[in-house]
Amino acid sequence: MTIQRVSEGDFTKTPIDKTPDPGLGTEMIPKERYTSREFMQKEWERLWTKVWNWGCASEDVAEPGDYIVTSLGKEEILITRQHDGKVKAFYNVCQHRGNRLMMGQGNAETFRCNYHHWEYRLNGEFENIPDADSFPQGAPPCGGLTEVRVEEWNGFVFFNLNPEAEPLLEFLAPLDTHLGPYHFDRMVKVTDWTVEWECNWKTSVDAFNESYHVQGIHPELLYFIEDKHIQIDTYERHNRYLIPFSTISHRVNETTEIPHLIKHAMKEAGMDPADFDGRVSEVRRALQLYKRKHGAEMGIDYSDLNDDQLTDDYHYMIFPNITMNTHAEDLMLFRQRPHESDPDKMYFDVQMFRLLKKDEPRPKKPKNERFKHGERSMGLVIDQDAANLPGVQRGMHSAAFEGLWLGDQELRIRHFHKVLMDYVGED
Amino acid sequence: MELGLSGMKAAVTGGSRGIGKSIATHLAAEGCDVSICARGPEAIAETRAEIESHGVASFGTALQGRDGEAVRRWTQDTCAEFGGLDVLVCSLSAGGGTNDERYWYRSFEIDLMSAARAVEEAYPYLKKSKNASILVVSSMAAAETFVAPMAYNAMKASLVTWSEQLAQQYAPKGIRVNCLEPGPTMFPGSNWEMIKVARSRTYAGVMRQQPTRRMGTAEEIARAAVFLSSPAARWVVGATLRADGGYTKGVQF
Repeated sequence: MTIQRVSEGDFTKTPIDKTPDPGLGTEMIPKERYTSREFMQKEWERLWTKVWNWGCASEDVAEPGDYIVTSLGKEEILITRQHDGKVKAFYNVCQHRGNRLMMGQGNAETFRCNYHHWEYRLNGEFENIPDADSFPQGAPPCGGLTEVRVEEWNGFVFFNLNPEAEPLLEFLAPLDTHLGPYHFDRMVKVTDWTVEWECNWKTSVDAFNESYHVQGIHPELLYFIEDKHIQIDTYERHNRYLIPFSTISHRVNETTEIPHLIKHAMKEAGMDPADFDGRVSEVRRALQLYKRKHGAEMGIDYSDLNDDQLTDDYHYMIFPNITMNTHAEDLMLFRQRPHESDPDKMYFDVQMFRLLKKDEPRPKKPKNERFKHGERSMGLVIDQDAANLPGVQRGMHSAAFEGLWLGDQELRIRHFHKVLMDYVGED
Repeated sequence: MELGLSGMKAAVTGGSRGIGKSIATHLAAEGCDVSICARGPEAIAETRAEIESHGVASFGTALQGRDGEAVRRWTQDTCAEFGGLDVLVCSLSAGGGTNDERYWYRSFEIDLMSAARAVEEAYPYLKKSKNASILVVSSMAAAETFVAPMAYNAMKASLVTWSEQLAQQYAPKGIRVNCLEPGPTMFPGSNWEMIKVARSRTYAGVMRQQPTRRMGTAEEIARAAVFLSSPAARWVVGATLRADGGYTKGVQF
């Protein structure tokens, strides 16, 4: 059974070319990158404070005065919309005694510290310091909050702690061209979770950068995706793989009955599986044609996407820590944030976005829900990943384990480490 | 025991995979010319090659089970090609699935009507045979509450009623009609193979009920089918045989 793919000459805006596999060798990846505090400190100084970081969705700060606080390692960043429609970001710290300035998200006319009511304007300048004349040295000469570089792209806000950093689009290249056709800015956020996981942030990034584990911990997906014959592409910093969905893995036999996840995908598109007389391996193509034909009736504009994108998972990683499962109608975005001090912990953010169908009312904007692993379900597949990761992290501390032994199906992990070390420089 | 099938002409609906395929190839091994029909041309070609490896003739047509005309034409073509018919096995099925309304129609067309249509077309030829037999493949799910209420179970039950009454009508014409109820059966590409992986709880629930601690194989079902279709079962008329490895618990008197 061969999987039909979009090929040269077919309509596509997202580049589909297979990049030549980089010669990255077969060396073991030292485990200390995942376990050592020294390496974690180097990451902070040379990586996190140098790269563009996903901050929030543009819709989180839709109106002037809207703000959201996000964190990265030891820092908290306050992102806010200005009266002129632009976005600004600041270190979320009061210049008086260092108190955290704002929490969570909301709308404000000014930012006022709870402690002594030092007050800042939306643009970060001092608005009011109570009893200002009691400071003979005057107000701090910085003039207000410390600004952080920020740029918006395709419905998302990115920040960079390095004032000298390259422009965002230069950092993202070539993913702007790749992901533009999905129009994330037309989607709405439907899920917003933050989970504390007992593993290094890279342990989590790795878990989504290969599909070799599907036959291990997600066996039910063998009846929904092709997990091995996939296309892996690596770019300067970022990488991707293209996974056919609504088909079955070559690892299993074709059945007469359409597997339930494929049936679900057909129904979502308005296609009745009971009326489908073809074989299971023919569903994917039929579904692509059906969506192309009926998209407009459903109120969904597929015109910038190629046929494969109508069914498949174009799975991108924005270096260093954003995993994107992009689909024609939705985006499942994972942000893997380092813990403030512990290499064995991280924060896993799940943000799901969805295109609304015609006349579909906009769902209530989700509140950010925070919990620890195991306190609630995130759906079978993410639960399977989540349940596995603490065991990986624990095992990496064992005297009997030296490092990661990677195969060709894990090329994206090797590429990720190459880029990581371009920033960090040394183990 | 000699089954007495050698030299007979057989037709098996849905004979390209699983239970149907196993019945078709076992009939061939017993010396029958065998005709099959199914969805996939490749699977038909493979099964036909297997049939012919037993030194008998084969015939086959790729068709959609919902297409009544196609099922009728295949039956007629088979009888014309073989110059008659002795054994008809109705094994074509849409499989389980959901309880959506469209699935009732699908199950009705493929499980029930394909059998009724094949029988109707085969009747004039079977009437002329000295050892005519019709075997309708139903399911244990007709008799036992199984997995969930669904079209599949109900349509399989209607096959039991129909085949037993057909047996009364056809017995004086020299055509034996019987029914077979296989229990859960595992073979490469079976829906159970998928359920074991993709819905492991459903699978485990079924296995807990199975006193033999495994599912049947297609061959184990085929052996019962071949016996019922053969002259060796000539006094078995209007019977419903359950081959389920002891899955059903009710005592049948």
